[in-house]
Amino acid sequence: MRHGAQLALAELNAQGGIRGRPVEFVVADDSGSDDAAVRVAQQLYGNPKVVAVVGHLASGTSLSAAQVYGADPTPLVMVTPSATSPDLSGVSPYVFRLCPTDIRYGTALARFARQSLGARRAAIIFGSNAYGRGFRNTFRSEFAALGGKVVEEDPYIPAIFSIEPYLTHLNREGIDVLVLAVEAGGAEMTLRQIRAVGAHWPVLGGDALAGIEAAGDVAEGIQLPAAYLPDAPGARNSAFVTAYTKAYPGERPDSRSAGAYDAVKVIARAIEARGADREEIRDYLAGMGRRVPAMDGVTGRIAFDSSGDVPVKEVVIGMVHNGRLVTERTR
Amino acid sequence: MKQFDTVRLRLLGGLALLGAGVVWIALFGAHALRTIRRSEAAQVATAQRSGEISSGIETSVLQQLNAGQQYLVTPTPEWRAQFKEAADQSFEFSRELERTRGLTIDQRLTVNRIRELQSSIEVGYAMAHALRDLGRDDEARVWANAVLTPAGEITRAVRGLTSELTTNARRAEQSLAALTARWEAYLYLGLLATIFGAAVVGYWTVSAVEEPLERMALAAERLGGGDLRVTTTGHMPFEIQLLSDTMRRMAERLRTIVREIVQESDQIATSAGDLTSISEGLAATAAQVSSAMSEISRGAERQRVELDAIGGGLEDLRRTAGELAEAAERVATLGEEIETVASRHQNDVASASGTLLDVREVVQTTSKQISQLAEQTAAIDDFVDLIRRISSQTNLLALNAAIEAARAGEHGRGFAVVAEEVRQLADESARAAEAVTKTTNTIRDQVDEVTATMAAGMAKVRGIEEIAGGAARGLEAIVAAVTQVEQAAGRVSQVAQQNRELTARLEERALQVMSQSVAHASGAEEVTAAAEQQGASTEEMAATSGQLLQAAEKLRSAVQGLRV
Repeated sequence: MRHGAQLALAELNAQGGIRGRPVEFVVADDSGSDDAAVRVAQQLYGNPKVVAVVGHLASGTSLSAAQVYGADPTPLVMVTPSATSPDLSGVSPYVFRLCPTDIRYGTALARFARQSLGARRAAIIFGSNAYGRGFRNTFRSEFAALGGKVVEEDPYIPAIFSIEPYLTHLNREGIDVLVLAVEAGGAEMTLRQIRAVGAHWPVLGGDALAGIEAAGDVAEGIQLPAAYLPDAPGARNSAFVTAYTKAYPGERPDSRSAGAYDAVKVIARAIEARGADREEIRDYLAGMGRRVPAMDGVTGRIAFDSSGDVPVKEVVIGMVHNGRLVTERTR
Repeated sequence: MKQFDTVRLRLLGGLALLGAGVVWIALFGAHALRTIRRSEAAQVATAQRSGEISSGIETSVLQQLNAGQQYLVTPTPEWRAQFKEAADQSFEFSRELERTRGLTIDQRLTVNRIRELQSSIEVGYAMAHALRDLGRDDEARVWANAVLTPAGEITRAVRGLTSELTTNARRAEQSLAALTARWEAYLYLGLLATIFGAAVVGYWTVSAVEEPLERMALAAERLGGGDLRVTTTGHMPFEIQLLSDTMRRMAERLRTIVREIVQESDQIATSAGDLTSISEGLAATAAQVSSAMSEISRGAERQRVELDAIGGGLEDLRRTAGELAEAAERVATLGEEIETVASRHQNDVASASGTLLDVREVVQTTSKQISQLAEQTAAIDDFVDLIRRISSQTNLLALNAAIEAARAGEHGRGFAVVAEEVRQLADESARAAEAVTKTTNTIRDQVDEVTATMAAGMAKVRGIEEIAGGAARGLEAIVAAVTQVEQAAGRVSQVAQQNRELTARLEERALQVMSQSVAHASGAEEVTAAAEQQGASTEEMAATSGQLLQAAEKLRSAVQGLRV
């Protein structure tokens, strides 16, 4: 995500900055922790030089931070490239996001499991947080609606080191598919332990698993929904992928880096039009697609509805294949 | 500027001020009440909600613990479901807690901590249940016991947060109370300002209206009393100024009217007087007219009579003119005879004149010769005269020689005799000269006589010539005269003819005039009647003008009381 943002920044400053002034990042790390997110948000909010935030990455941290950014007297815009929780929709007028919500992802994944894989019995291992719970609920209701059954829902927190009892239990129960509504770290551990218990279920992940392909062999074969894939067609995307791989050799962009790239460009356009003012930027973004024209970004068309969400984007299911996330169709 | 100084604007201004004040008070009051209500409601809601949330979390966590424990004892799907439901519920509450606005960072961190604890409890029991299902009860017990610590902590955290939120609410309430007190003060201040403003405007308006109105009333009273010279001056509001101006213009107009009335009544009086005298004059004139008219009618009568006479005269005239014409014709005939005779005489006279011319030539030649004779006699005179002068000188010389011979005595005797002889000769010559002179004189007298006779003859011849010429001219004149007479006679007969026609016309006219004069006489009678009527009208007019005069007097006395 940071690399995507920095690539956009480098491009902006190479063109002379915005309104003739160079753009600078204040980089902060929330470490995926709600506490850290609240503290970081407090710092950024208190820094008058910060006019907009690209972030946060996860749903939980975004939800925690949104409350801090949205407080009076000088609310601060945040544009998240990847926080998918439906709870984030309309939580504050200062929250915008460039990705679809879990309602789209969860539904897409449930359909894939039920219709493409023909699964009847599913189990979900979900993070005991806003994202995990939300994704679990969406998947469950769509899967049930399609005639499937979620037989097990097991909570997970990063504090535990083993979910072997869950997996053993699932293995005894017998399931057609395992859904991981957890972040990449938990997923990696789970994948290892699945092997340890000798299970061979097809594993599906939520969008939070973007980048899991970097985990290597264990991630091979995992399937997950994405609104953006680097092999998506389009000149704009291929230019971005080329620039990205050139700037960061050995890396490939994912939905988060592409989203961050677009987030920086969107904020830059708002500043270009209205100046480096928090309230003006928020006003510009809120009008995109209505009062001001939408923008075509790497991740697609960018406009915002009254909840700060982008219009419906096509969600595809990707698969980790040979260490790369590729579109199901192109496999 | 004057346009803005109006009672209307003052009243409107005052009303607007009052309205604005009232509106401000109302709006501010409403705003204050609304703010208080909202704030109260928000505080109450927050307090209530935070209480609900905290008790909800505590309850759901307790339910979770209960269900979780029960499942470990009797693993039925009901307990499992109840556990899951309790867990979801407790997370629902904590999510709501996170959404509470106005939390401090520490409070947010506490919320995060509560969520973490909830997750620990959920995961702990989930693991315990899985192990229980797998029949690994010891491990399950370890996981279940591990949950107890977070369960105790969560209760403490929730209670701590709730009490903090309650304190927040109380603090907010206190600040609201202070704010309310301040707003109350503003409200009173606004009220006072409005009342004061209204009072000032009211007093200002009343004082601006009252005094000019009093002045107006006084002026009106004076106007009612007949003093038309009123004016209201000084500063006053626009409407009253308008009223005052109107009153002033009214008084001015009244004044003008009264002045005009006085003038008019004077004029009427004068005119009435004039009218009286004129009507008197008219009456007199009418009398004159009627007398003149009766004279006219008498004159017309006379005219008629005279015209009758003229008719007779004209008849005579006609007759006379006829005679005249005849006489003229006779004159013409006579003239012709005269002309014949005159031409005959003219020839006779011409031959006589020729004879006379021959006579005049003879006489003229004779008189020329006589004149020459007279000149010759004049030459004799000159010779005689010379002789006389020589004889006198010779005489003188002889005398002198006698004297000298005397003195020479004897010697001179002979001489004296000669001298004597010379002297006698001288005397002799003198005497001869004298005789010649006498003769020439006689001749001269005779010549003169002949000359005179000749001259007389000449004169006579000339007289005859003149007579003859005169006769010839007289004859010519006669011929001319006769011609003229003839012409005149023609003209006379012509004129006489015209005269006759004229006379006939005159007669006709005379008849007409006569009838006209009869008409005149009756017209004159009518005029007389009219004049008499006029006289009566004039008397009436005189009476009316008297009334007019009285009216004018009355009018003047009516406006006399008004001061202009």
